[in-house]
Amino acid sequence: MDPQMMVELGALTLVGGAALIAGVAEDLESDVGSQSNPNSQVQLAPQMGYLHRLYNKAISGEPASYPFYAAIGAATALSVLSVTGNNSLIGVFFALVAGAFVTALIHGVYATTSYMGRLASQSRFGQPIYMDVLRTHTPVLMAHGFVANFSVLLLTWVLIAQHLSPFPFVVLAFIWGIALGGVGSAVGDVHLGTDRYYQDRPYGSGVNAAHSGSVVRKAESGLRNSIDCAWFCSKFGGPLTGLGFGLVVYLHFWKEVVVKDWWSAVAGIIIVMIFVIMNTYLERYSRQRYGTYKEETEAE
Amino acid sequence: MFSLLLWVWIILGGILIGAGVHFIPVGGAPAAMSQATGVGTGTTMLAAASGLTGLIGAGTAYYTHPGDFAYTIVMGGVSAALMISVLAFIANVMYVYGAGVPLASAKVKYDPITKWRQDLYVSRGTEGHGSPMASFISGILGAFLAGVGGALVFFALAETYKAIPGFSATFGSYPAPYYISLAAAFAIGIFFLNCVMASYNIGGTIEGFHDPKFRRIPKSIAASLVVSAVGGLFALLISVMLPGGI
Repeated sequence: MDPQMMVELGALTLVGGAALIAGVAEDLESDVGSQSNPNSQVQLAPQMGYLHRLYNKAISGEPASYPFYAAIGAATALSVLSVTGNNSLIGVFFALVAGAFVTALIHGVYATTSYMGRLASQSRFGQPIYMDVLRTHTPVLMAHGFVANFSVLLLTWVLIAQHLSPFPFVVLAFIWGIALGGVGSAVGDVHLGTDRYYQDRPYGSGVNAAHSGSVVRKAESGLRNSIDCAWFCSKFGGPLTGLGFGLVVYLHFWKEVVVKDWWSAVAGIIIVMIFVIMNTYLERYSRQRYGTYKEETEAE
Repeated sequence: MFSLLLWVWIILGGILIGAGVHFIPVGGAPAAMSQATGVGTGTTMLAAASGLTGLIGAGTAYYTHPGDFAYTIVMGGVSAALMISVLAFIANVMYVYGAGVPLASAKVKYDPITKWRQDLYVSRGTEGHGSPMASFISGILGAFLAGVGGALVFFALAETYKAIPGFSATFGSYPAPYYISLAAAFAIGIFFLNCVMASYNIGGTIEGFHDPKFRRIPKSIAASLVVSAVGGLFALLISVMLPGGI
């Protein structure tokens, strides 16, 4: 095997691993902070008369906020590197840590103002601002955001150091931030929104639109908070998000490293076909396993 | 160098991006509660996530095969299609094993591709869940179009900026020239312009080519044409306005 390809495959493994960790951390951060699609239910709950102790920060959609965190982190890391130089590995590592640290601070500021602002606007519905929720949740979501952003910066740096992408550090981190937010909000949110927020409803059904806002507010012990939700989602939603983002990044570069030129386009089409076939089996399995919700005569 | 043909590529790329967004199955926030068919995130964001991943593929292709038009745009399309196929499949795994719902659409009685019955599998009070085969294939087609469009825009801008004196230089040990960075940044801008125009046209959620909202596509094409023409012209004129520009 070509030695250059072996080095690139090793780098790709590191990139895939970093992407996996980024995906898991990103989804759990959005569960603790309740940022994303299911936050519509948390936002709606007080208006429907359901007061809760869940964190409520929708700074923006995940695919909008993560690219900006990544770009801020990348710009900070670059400015540190412009002073220290990028010759030593440990120097690069600490520059990436510094970048992720700055994003965590900015994330914390946004989260605090967003939580206070959103809940203050709901005072007319009697929703209190819980200072202990703010105090306990904000560092947790900042920490998860730190891990996610550090992983994105790391994978971007490895891709650039191995010349696997011609894009500059900040632009590439920005694009991977969008992809990370896209996967996080498309995959992990379903576990939080359909299952965890509506655990008192029968399993195996979409949430009836008539029940919107009636989120579960009692926990296994005491009142539920958003850290409980992250504990629950870390069992399936988080890992699956990580798998999704890891596969996106890994397969994207695998087809360019292992096969060259026009064959990489062919390899990409073959991978897409494999996913189409797997989706057919998944759809058929779900229909056979779960059955219908209504009888044929009822539907007519 | 400024060329009318490259401007046409940008306009065509913008139209393809705008049209591609209509194919991508977007469930928006309700999809996270399994209340709507499609992938659970916003229209603009899902299209951007897949299309810009395609842009990474196109950028690498352009860098390894400088000036190869066909290879650049095909790699852009294939990379975007790959991203959305992984994303939609993993999301479907989540619907089936995490939420326990079958994949179904509420807009059609039978899936146009598999011919499987849909309405019986839609749970009460919802508009379907997951991405059934028609939405899945539609998403792949849409991402391919959007990826090809993004690659066309990137190619045209890179070819233009390449001629600016000094822009073929590189920064330190970093091997890629300046003009690729600048073309990538402007291509992202034109991508977002067209995504947002299309998402206003869709207005919320869409299931793919079998959705009645898909018939609104001509309006989006007209809007993309205008927006890309103006945005593309500004992006190209930078090559004239910079010192030493042509």
